[in-house]
Amino acid sequence: MVAALTPVRPATPPPPASGISRGLGERLSPYAYIAPFFVIFAAFGLFPFAFTFYVALFDWNPIGDQEFIGLDNFTRMLADPRFWNATRNTVSIWALSTIPQLLLALLLAHVLNNARLRFALFFRMSMLVPYVTSVAATAIVFVQLFDRDFGLLNWLLGLVGVAPVDFVQSTWGSHLLIATMVTWRWFGYTTLLYLASLQAVPRSVYEAAAMDGAGPWQQFRHITVPSLRPMIIFTVVTSTIGGLQIFTEPLLVGTGGPQSCGVVRQCQTLTLFLYEQGFGQFQFGYGSAVGVALFVMVVAIAAINYLLSTRIKADR
Amino acid sequence: MRLRLPLFCAAVALVAACTPGTGGGGGGDGKSFEFWSFSAINQKLSVDAYKQKHPDVDVKLTEVGSSVETAQALTTALAGGKVPDLVLIQGDDLPKFVQQPQNFVDLRTLGADDIKGDYLDWVFKQSVAKDGEVLGIPTDVGGMAMVYRTDLFAAAGLPTDREAVSALWPTWDDYIETGKRYKQQTGKAFVDNAATSVFYQAVNQVSQKYYDNNERKPVYDSNPEVRAAFDLGIKAATSGITAGQTSFETAWSAGMAQGQYATVAAPSWMLNSIRSTAPDTKGKWDIARIPGGSGNWGGSYLAIPKRAQNPQAAWNYIKEMQSPQGQLEHFGRVGALPSTPSVYKDEKLATAKDPFFSDAPTGTIYTDSLLELKPFYIGPDSATIGQEFLNSITNVEQAGGNPATAWDDAVRNIKTAIGG
Repeated sequence: MVAALTPVRPATPPPPASGISRGLGERLSPYAYIAPFFVIFAAFGLFPFAFTFYVALFDWNPIGDQEFIGLDNFTRMLADPRFWNATRNTVSIWALSTIPQLLLALLLAHVLNNARLRFALFFRMSMLVPYVTSVAATAIVFVQLFDRDFGLLNWLLGLVGVAPVDFVQSTWGSHLLIATMVTWRWFGYTTLLYLASLQAVPRSVYEAAAMDGAGPWQQFRHITVPSLRPMIIFTVVTSTIGGLQIFTEPLLVGTGGPQSCGVVRQCQTLTLFLYEQGFGQFQFGYGSAVGVALFVMVVAIAAINYLLSTRIKADR
Repeated sequence: MRLRLPLFCAAVALVAACTPGTGGGGGGDGKSFEFWSFSAINQKLSVDAYKQKHPDVDVKLTEVGSSVETAQALTTALAGGKVPDLVLIQGDDLPKFVQQPQNFVDLRTLGADDIKGDYLDWVFKQSVAKDGEVLGIPTDVGGMAMVYRTDLFAAAGLPTDREAVSALWPTWDDYIETGKRYKQQTGKAFVDNAATSVFYQAVNQVSQKYYDNNERKPVYDSNPEVRAAFDLGIKAATSGITAGQTSFETAWSAGMAQGQYATVAAPSWMLNSIRSTAPDTKGKWDIARIPGGSGNWGGSYLAIPKRAQNPQAAWNYIKEMQSPQGQLEHFGRVGALPSTPSVYKDEKLATAKDPFFSDAPTGTIYTDSLLELKPFYIGPDSATIGQEFLNSITNVEQAGGNPATAWDDAVRNIKTAIGG
């Protein structure tokens, strides 16, 4: 018993921590905690990203020779009608998908924010269903809906006497088809972003406006839209950057060669062109050059975003 | 959605280009091996048969995906990843690999010269590189034929017997004329599409295709045989006899099941996809000769990458399973046409009948289409050139492209694509 009462000394007392080593350990440990992300990011993000610029200077055959050709890939790209065609298609599909998507989201967010809406949670949740559905599944269903001979849409058009439209083989039709898929996938996500920032607007503002005789449209125009302005800028920029990289939808829509999205490349986007050159034709150097061009465009748009958002802050 | 895709592509490029060469799979016991094949061609049946005969051998079969996907995966692997010991390469993808023979085992070192005589000469030659290296052994060939719906032919007042139907179209012009008759009688489409079922067949019946046979230089824009095939495609596309359904697309399948078109050009390997695409049409099809008489579409090769760990085990498999007898058994299992002419008169092949196609003698129909075949050289850009011609015809057929400028458009697009 006596022994038990004796305070037990640790077998080996901890060495007195020297001020230097403890300080160093404490200063280094945060870096160790975040290191996994940065190591992986460096290996799979940063390095390949920088390496793309390097490869773009070569005629690079992955299983053959790699020859340094300077900026030849870039001069070839600027003279390549397929590159400009892909750029035009990308911009067109982006405009057709982003503008209706943001307008629709704005409207839906306004409606969902209404205090008298019943089953609000159900409606808010169901917005996200297209977003969580696999892109491939969405694409397969939409391509069938828009089919020339057997599609539901053309069947409906047929009922009112309109001749079948070949969406996939026409330029505007294929753009519309892809834009519809993109809109379908993203409108719910954008709606929820808008809704979240709308919830921060006090109800009393709407109530006061209603008391003063403002109708729903005036409330939308003078309360909802202005309070959403920073969020609208944010979604315009993210969906633009996303729109520049539309890939899966045109890949799955396309006929006439797996990566050209149509026999006259009518819906081939920049990323799909990049993929075709890199992994279809195995011209890694040329594909990388297209990747660099895409990067420049994204940076330009990010810069515009920065300018706009600093101006908005300054306005306040 | 943000920067992911370019980064991802770059990451793949990085892994492909920078990983130092690590070895292949299947362990290193020298008996077992790893085998990459396409999906949906029932390769497993043959692998299982091999394993049954050799219980000590373990074959690790990976069905990578479509033939194109398999070639892409192989390219990435050759550039620096883990390579299989044995890989199946489709004929259209082969020329790119033949241009870079240093990536593969020269099969002459394992004894390819001894079995060379077993195979159709022109098929074998396609896997021979510039200094005579043998990179692949042919596993099968496609042959060519025209399948047609007997019920729809009867309704149009056309003969239904396969000999009589073959006699309707000795040439492609006759075929297009028959199509016009069919269209007049029924108002329906005669053929699925002009690009694949007419042009792509006709252009594979030439004596010289996109490259000069001897100098191996591109001649696609000056070769009158290519131009003639292209013009046939345009003629079919503008004659109102096609359904405008691009081969293998969803609507093509739906059209086939609904009898939207009455004929499809089908090599032997396509019979399987017709069977699975339109199971309810069983017994309503028959098989006639291809207009022009002979030709080949498709066929694959087995190759052994240079860095394979078990090249001998892989070669043992090739030697046994791709022997004339081995290919004959494979024909019995999955219907792929042997590339070894010595078995063409074998009873098992000669008496093979397909109930789905009104008991047509598939073995003899397809082997007959190969016998008069004129071999031509296939170059590194043949696949790209062919695709641009197909696209140009489809553009006229389905998207209202101008037939008068179609040829020039195609040639210009090819020049952009292959540079030159």
